[in-house]
Amino acid sequence: MKRFVVLLVFVLSVTLCGAAYAAFPAIPAEKINPGFVYIGPIGDGGWTYMHEQGRLAMEKEFPGVKSTFVESIPEGPDAARVFETMIRNGSKVIFGTTFGYMDFVQEVAKKYPDTIFMHCAGYKDAPNVGTYFGRMYQARYLSGLVAGKMTKKNRIGYVGAHPIPEVIRGINAFTQGVRKANPEAEVQVIWIFSWLDPGKEKEAAKALIDSGVDILAMHADTGATPQAAEEAGIYVIGYNNDMSAYAPTKHLTAPIWDWGMVYKETIGQVIKGTWQPSHIWYGLKEGMVALAPYGKDVPDLVKALVDVEKAKIVSGEWDVFHGPVKDQSGEVKVPEGAAMTDGEMLSMNWFVEGVKGDIPK
Amino acid sequence: MKLSIKVEPRLETPRMLGIAIPVISLAAALLSGAVFLFFMGVSPFQAYSTIIRSSLGDAYGLSETVVKAIPLAMAAIAVMLSFTMLIWNIGAEGQIFMGAIAAAAAVRYLFVDNHLAMFAIMFAAAGIAGGIWAAIAGYFRARWSVNEIITTLMLNYVAMNLLNYFVYGPWRDPASLGFPMTAPFPDAARLPSFWGTRIHAGLFLAILFPLIFWVILRFTRWGYEIRVMGENPKAAGFAGMSYIKNVVFVMFLSGAIAGIAGMCELSGLQGRLQHGFSGGYGYTAIIVAWLARLHPIAIILVSFLMGVLLVGGETLQIVMRLPLSSMLVLQGLILFFVLGGEFFRKFRIRILSGGATPPIATTSAKEEK
Amino acid sequence: MDARAPSKPLVRMEKITKRFTGVTANLDVDFDVRPGEVHALLGENGAGKSTLMNILYGLYRPDSGVLTIEGKDVSFSSPRDAIASGIGMVHQHFMLIPSQTVWENMILGLEGLSSVLPKRAIRERILELSSRYGLSVDPDAKIWQLSIGEQQRVAILQMLYRRAKILVLDEPTAVLTPQEAEHLFVTVRQMTSEGHGIVFISHKMDEVMGLSHRVTILRKGRLVGTVDTASTTKEKLAEMMIGQKMIFSIEKKELQPGKPVIECASVCALGDRGIPAVSRATFMIREQEILGVAGVAGNGQQELCETLVGLRKVESGAIRVNNEELTNSIPKTFIDKGIHYIPADRKGTGLVPNMNVSENSILKRYWSRAVSKKGFIDWKEVFSFARGLVSRYNVSTPSMETPVRNLSGGNLQKLMLGRELSDSPIAILAVHPTWGLDVAATKFVREQLLAAREAGCAVLLVSEDLDELLAMSDRLAVMCKGEIMGILDSPAETPVEAIGLMMAGTPAEEALASAPRGGGKS
Repeated sequence: MKRFVVLLVFVLSVTLCGAAYAAFPAIPAEKINPGFVYIGPIGDGGWTYMHEQGRLAMEKEFPGVKSTFVESIPEGPDAARVFETMIRNGSKVIFGTTFGYMDFVQEVAKKYPDTIFMHCAGYKDAPNVGTYFGRMYQARYLSGLVAGKMTKKNRIGYVGAHPIPEVIRGINAFTQGVRKANPEAEVQVIWIFSWLDPGKEKEAAKALIDSGVDILAMHADTGATPQAAEEAGIYVIGYNNDMSAYAPTKHLTAPIWDWGMVYKETIGQVIKGTWQPSHIWYGLKEGMVALAPYGKDVPDLVKALVDVEKAKIVSGEWDVFHGPVKDQSGEVKVPEGAAMTDGEMLSMNWFVEGVKGDIPK
Repeated sequence: MKLSIKVEPRLETPRMLGIAIPVISLAAALLSGAVFLFFMGVSPFQAYSTIIRSSLGDAYGLSETVVKAIPLAMAAIAVMLSFTMLIWNIGAEGQIFMGAIAAAAAVRYLFVDNHLAMFAIMFAAAGIAGGIWAAIAGYFRARWSVNEIITTLMLNYVAMNLLNYFVYGPWRDPASLGFPMTAPFPDAARLPSFWGTRIHAGLFLAILFPLIFWVILRFTRWGYEIRVMGENPKAAGFAGMSYIKNVVFVMFLSGAIAGIAGMCELSGLQGRLQHGFSGGYGYTAIIVAWLARLHPIAIILVSFLMGVLLVGGETLQIVMRLPLSSMLVLQGLILFFVLGGEFFRKFRIRILSGGATPPIATTSAKEEK
Repeated sequence: MDARAPSKPLVRMEKITKRFTGVTANLDVDFDVRPGEVHALLGENGAGKSTLMNILYGLYRPDSGVLTIEGKDVSFSSPRDAIASGIGMVHQHFMLIPSQTVWENMILGLEGLSSVLPKRAIRERILELSSRYGLSVDPDAKIWQLSIGEQQRVAILQMLYRRAKILVLDEPTAVLTPQEAEHLFVTVRQMTSEGHGIVFISHKMDEVMGLSHRVTILRKGRLVGTVDTASTTKEKLAEMMIGQKMIFSIEKKELQPGKPVIECASVCALGDRGIPAVSRATFMIREQEILGVAGVAGNGQQELCETLVGLRKVESGAIRVNNEELTNSIPKTFIDKGIHYIPADRKGTGLVPNMNVSENSILKRYWSRAVSKKGFIDWKEVFSFARGLVSRYNVSTPSMETPVRNLSGGNLQKLMLGRELSDSPIAILAVHPTWGLDVAATKFVREQLLAAREAGCAVLLVSEDLDELLAMSDRLAVMCKGEIMGILDSPAETPVEAIGLMMAGTPAEEALASAPRGGGKS
């Protein structure tokens, strides 16, 4: 098993460095017709909403490009048909915006080798498939600093979507931030096993509130968690976009996405004929992830701490999972002086010290 | 002149209405949909032709419509069977999940490198798992009169969480970097697909099941018993039929068919078990079964039409750049009119005008002032 | 009957016509009710009585015709309108909520009540009304605790509470003991003396003759005529009803009963509510005899029959069929042994309303070789069987494919009777087989039961019609509260008063001692 993981990490780091794929020939702007496939409705106020903002930003940048989108496509065989229908209706570039589309992207990509696919959050590539994601963990870390400073009871709740590396990494980074600011604080996690389910999100948030946390953080697609926090009168850290609309008085900040960056870059490359499959993983430095504006209750002292930590990350002097990092049992996972590789981070499957909760095995 | 409207039950439905009503309903649905599309700023003609063209107009569209209709037809047969007996199995969705889980288990633990043998094993596993899942609710209903609507619905969530447990836990593919999915199935565990499309061997079952159950319900002793029990359980007891035994058995069969639908979807399309399996076929099947008025053969047709609506709807979003919600409104309108037409089969409306028939008045006149 | 001056009618229905698909239920019917009169409405089943009254009560709307209440034209779109106009209806099956109290039922569906219920005022009004009309009932009792007779009183009170001026009583005595019926008549007379108008629907000629002032007869949806009761006779009314002279007597052969077919020993069973419904029933039914079971509805007769066919669990005691112990066997066993059952609830139990005539005809024989082979039903055979049944038993149906819900009560009963008798049963248990049937159908059913008896069948006949029981039965068991009060060996010679006392719970010896001997039926 262990040997297998080593092998896996090796394979992964090779692919992450970018296999030798050839660049695609240029496509005129008016012929690209990029198609965006969303898992949720564009009005979810979170994940899909931000992708839609990215799409709009891209269209603004390239007025000649006419894009199209389909909402609420579940992570199942229907996705393959939507990809194919888009291609049959003239799309030359397809963006699949959720992890669960991975197999179907591969399936359709094989059938249409001349179409470019960009898959969000997955790990499989192909001569015509690239992936894109961001180092959200860096922004999560910063938001953790804020939460760590603002908690009074030293108990923070975290609504988690799926127990997969992406979410686990976010929880760990957040907790690293919390513990940096406040070594006494703990982060309590509840899984809802869904990306998009406002009912479950709110229920989980309420359960955490009932258990006595005084700050909520979240990794799910909608603004249900901030709503629950506002109703209960406790602070909340959003996700995806500035969620202060859902919690006008209690929203501290939120780690947010700028997908438009990737969409603009990709379409620009396609027009120029420089696009080739790669694994995009931009962070604070590139500006693909950031913190939303602070709420009025966040003191300047806390903001200053965040700025200091951010500068370290942006400069490349330090990153979130630089050692020492301990797991829940106190065992040192990353020794002093070492750092986790991207491959290790992408398959992270354990919690750091300070997280309360389990990962289903 | 004052008009009033009176609704009266029909004692018998004239044969002509049986044909006229669905046709008129569909026409009314399309017409109101056209008005809606017009106000959305879209040419209704273009929109409808897009739906038809994309779902029926070429080999690909047609094949995808069939792909969509396959699980719908099977799941609709499953719920039809229980509905015929007036047992409300709302849990086809969960039974689909159980069938898929069992099929995945079969691939994992009982793998044989032979298409036919693997198909038989997965078929049996999915049927038994889905069947038992439904039979649990059936037994509770028969033995203690526990409302099966609630139990089957609740079991849906249990099944969903069970699937989560397996794909997040013991069955997680180590090569998936911790993502919730099993390893891809070996080729022998995949249903063959045909003509270069995604149409898979499930098609035959989706046609065979309706035919089989049409024959059973129409011509066999057991089918007769089921219909009597559905129409009048007391009369069934009076005629010496065992209600309890049959409730459990019908639920088992119902769940088994749903389970097999899940297995076909899994092995025919997905190729691995992962989170987010099934797209609510178990629920859509309920609508299909009702639209088909619980007639097994009509279920094939309605499933296909539902496929047209779903596939065409997606394309409409892409081509006309319509938001999803407008598609839902359009689909809702069509279902509303078609189901609403049912009302006119059972009732008739009489419009009485003040002059022609008995003077209408004092009581309502009182209310008027 | 006192000849009242024809005063202005409370309600007048003129030229009422009502058609359903293919059926004319009422055609140009005139009907009126005057204050202070009992107006009887007579007619066979399907003659259009119910339709006419449902129009009056706002359930149906007439196709044409005029309805006036106290001189004003009205049109009802629902019973609510009718109630507001002072029309009240007491159905055969009372529209009461069993789990609620009498006073709560009183205000059921009333509008304009304050949100805090004025319980005291309601109770006082109930007590006032019940003493005025002799309708004694405990306002705080729950409906399910009341006997059928008491429930009927509540239903009448409910209408009076709503200040109904016109009361429609739909076969009110069908569910009552003779004593209770007498009591009801007192109430009715009290109401008429206060100016209420009563519509009285009944099949029982004696009651019509004794109670009503005028009689309206309907036949096949048309008005035959309205006559003053004082100037007519039972025979004339019957003639108007069926359009021909008819014979009331029953031809019954003298037969010697054979060996016991069904034997019951101390059978106890629970009712649907888990309360004892049958206690220590001991009796037997022999070949070639009819054992009548008298009693007011709901005194365990139906439950008793259900235990005899395996539909109800026997808590203690034993049931033997031809000397074979069959206690608590499954229904199929009883059917296979040849015990056939004609339940009172035709559409609810005996038939499947939404299935057609041929499908219903094989309900008890779908497994037989004659109609099914290797698990498949031979519908051709079924059709020919059904056709035979329909012609032998005079079932009038448009086709074999007609859903039986569209058949009239009499035809339903004939179909069911035919089905049960065509399997050459060794015993027939018939519960209220003539209930609600018209004269011709009643006669037919009785003849068929007698024919079965002659053919050697053991017959158990449960009925509320004492005349029928006395005429048909070789022996008569009287049930009260689940117990058999006694079995009379020569029922025709027993005074009716004694049977009435037994039905009310007096043991046989006592009842026979207190009633004058040898009176015969009055």
